[in-house]
Amino acid sequence: MTELALPPRPRGGYRGPAIALGVLAVTVVMCLPGIGIGVDLGAIARNWQNGADKILKLLAPDWSFFPRTIAPFVETLQMAVIATAVGSAISLPVSFWAARNTNPSAPFRLAVRAMLNIVRAVPDLLYAAILVAMVGVGALPGMLALVVFNIGILVKLVSEALDANDTGPLEAGRAVGATQPQINRTLALPDAWPAFANQALYVFELNVRASTVLGLVGAGGLGLLIDAVRTFYRYDQLSLIILEILIIVIVIDTVSSAIRRRLV
Amino acid sequence: MSSHPVGSLAGQWAGSATVADPAHWAISLRDVTVRYPNGTVGLNGVSLDIPAGSMVAIVGLSGSGKSTLIRTINGLVPVTAGTLTVGGCAVDGARPRALRALRGEIGMVFQGFNLAGRASVLQNVLVGRLAHTPLWRTLIGRYRGSDKQLAYEALDSVGILPKLYARASDLSGGQQQRVAIARALTQQPKIVLADEPVASLDPPTAHSVMGDLRRINEERGITVLVNLHLLDLAREYGVRLIGMRAGEVVYDGPAASASDADFERIYGRPIASGDRLAGDGAAR
Repeated sequence: MTELALPPRPRGGYRGPAIALGVLAVTVVMCLPGIGIGVDLGAIARNWQNGADKILKLLAPDWSFFPRTIAPFVETLQMAVIATAVGSAISLPVSFWAARNTNPSAPFRLAVRAMLNIVRAVPDLLYAAILVAMVGVGALPGMLALVVFNIGILVKLVSEALDANDTGPLEAGRAVGATQPQINRTLALPDAWPAFANQALYVFELNVRASTVLGLVGAGGLGLLIDAVRTFYRYDQLSLIILEILIIVIVIDTVSSAIRRRLV
Repeated sequence: MSSHPVGSLAGQWAGSATVADPAHWAISLRDVTVRYPNGTVGLNGVSLDIPAGSMVAIVGLSGSGKSTLIRTINGLVPVTAGTLTVGGCAVDGARPRALRALRGEIGMVFQGFNLAGRASVLQNVLVGRLAHTPLWRTLIGRYRGSDKQLAYEALDSVGILPKLYARASDLSGGQQQRVAIARALTQQPKIVLADEPVASLDPPTAHSVMGDLRRINEERGITVLVNLHLLDLAREYGVRLIGMRAGEVVYDGPAASASDADFERIYGRPIASGDRLAGDGAAR
């Protein structure tokens, strides 16, 4: 067997282990009391039984509670559907303004992106709390909070997809003398549909789950009911609600992955 | 050459009834230099006169500036120095609106076809009418009947009308390039620029697409500028041959009589078998 002349080993082979060590070190430091969040394993050992009996109650759902969950359940779905539709409709044009490929004007694009960063920085629960104060308790503030929340997410994800798309067709649009809005409508939009539909489906799923949380601040849907039963420590009833959410999330996931397969 | 302000162009060609004076659509470059933002020189003091109705093959290796030359003519690449007039209008320093009006008169065909893959063939071809279509029509997708008629005729002339409602990405490479040619024809162009239009096609398809470009020139009197890197295609389809190397014109003469020695001077190296579509031997 002849000795093969191998090229010199590339430098930087130590990088992978070094990064892993670095991540481990940061995690440990973050757990230390004083510097980090102070993880106290002793507290877990002392108090775990307090949670355990709650978990036991959760394992025995109160089926008789079902009729009372129907109306809030439907309300949650309605909020999610309407918020997804309105949020998507607003996000589509804004996404084109936020992507480099479809908006060559840097000042305009950066202004749009700065606004969106602000929108995303505010937690959805805070939007809901403010809107409940403005328009009163119910599904409307919850839905409005979801719309704002959706625009923040959708525009970011869709504009990133737009920037990843092939720029060839857009150059062809410039070459025929089309204006940027014309190019976006005729050449960028057809190729943006799959990404857009994909993210809209994802946001719909987020909305169903988020609208259960928004109820905690009075913004309608199942969350309002969750807040009520939790106050009375009715973990058996809470368990039924969680089960219902689980089922609807599975249904949405199945349906949306079927739609995604058709889109590609 | 006197150049009138391009602003008048928008009005002049707004109505498709206006018949172009062919002599009006000459291309003239005077000491044109193009320097890219990264410092690369694309064109270095190029002077050329291309009369209307010419069939020009531009050859050179990749990086020779032939793609820059094509893209400079319709303003996709800005001129750094020198003057460029197309159809009597100054391209250098033209305002965006005037530049769009000018591009509306110049068709362009790309190596990668550059179609919206998920849109139909018809939608792609109608893009050729955008310079003459108001924004509201574009947004709701309602093109004029006359524009659709132009699209049908253009597709028919390249033999691809039966694929009208097919999705562009479902077509073969040769079919997609024909759709791209139909898009250019739908513009009712005075000039067609083709940047390596057959570089990603197999030899028989390459010949039929080149044949389409030749017919456009012969039957409609449209000026056609084609970038090629294969010498047998350039000889066969070009009437005039422009050779480029390092951003300069190093050959300018009849295509048919260009010798292998001329090509070796353009390429700056001996001819290799990869320089012919037909491969070594077969083309001789």
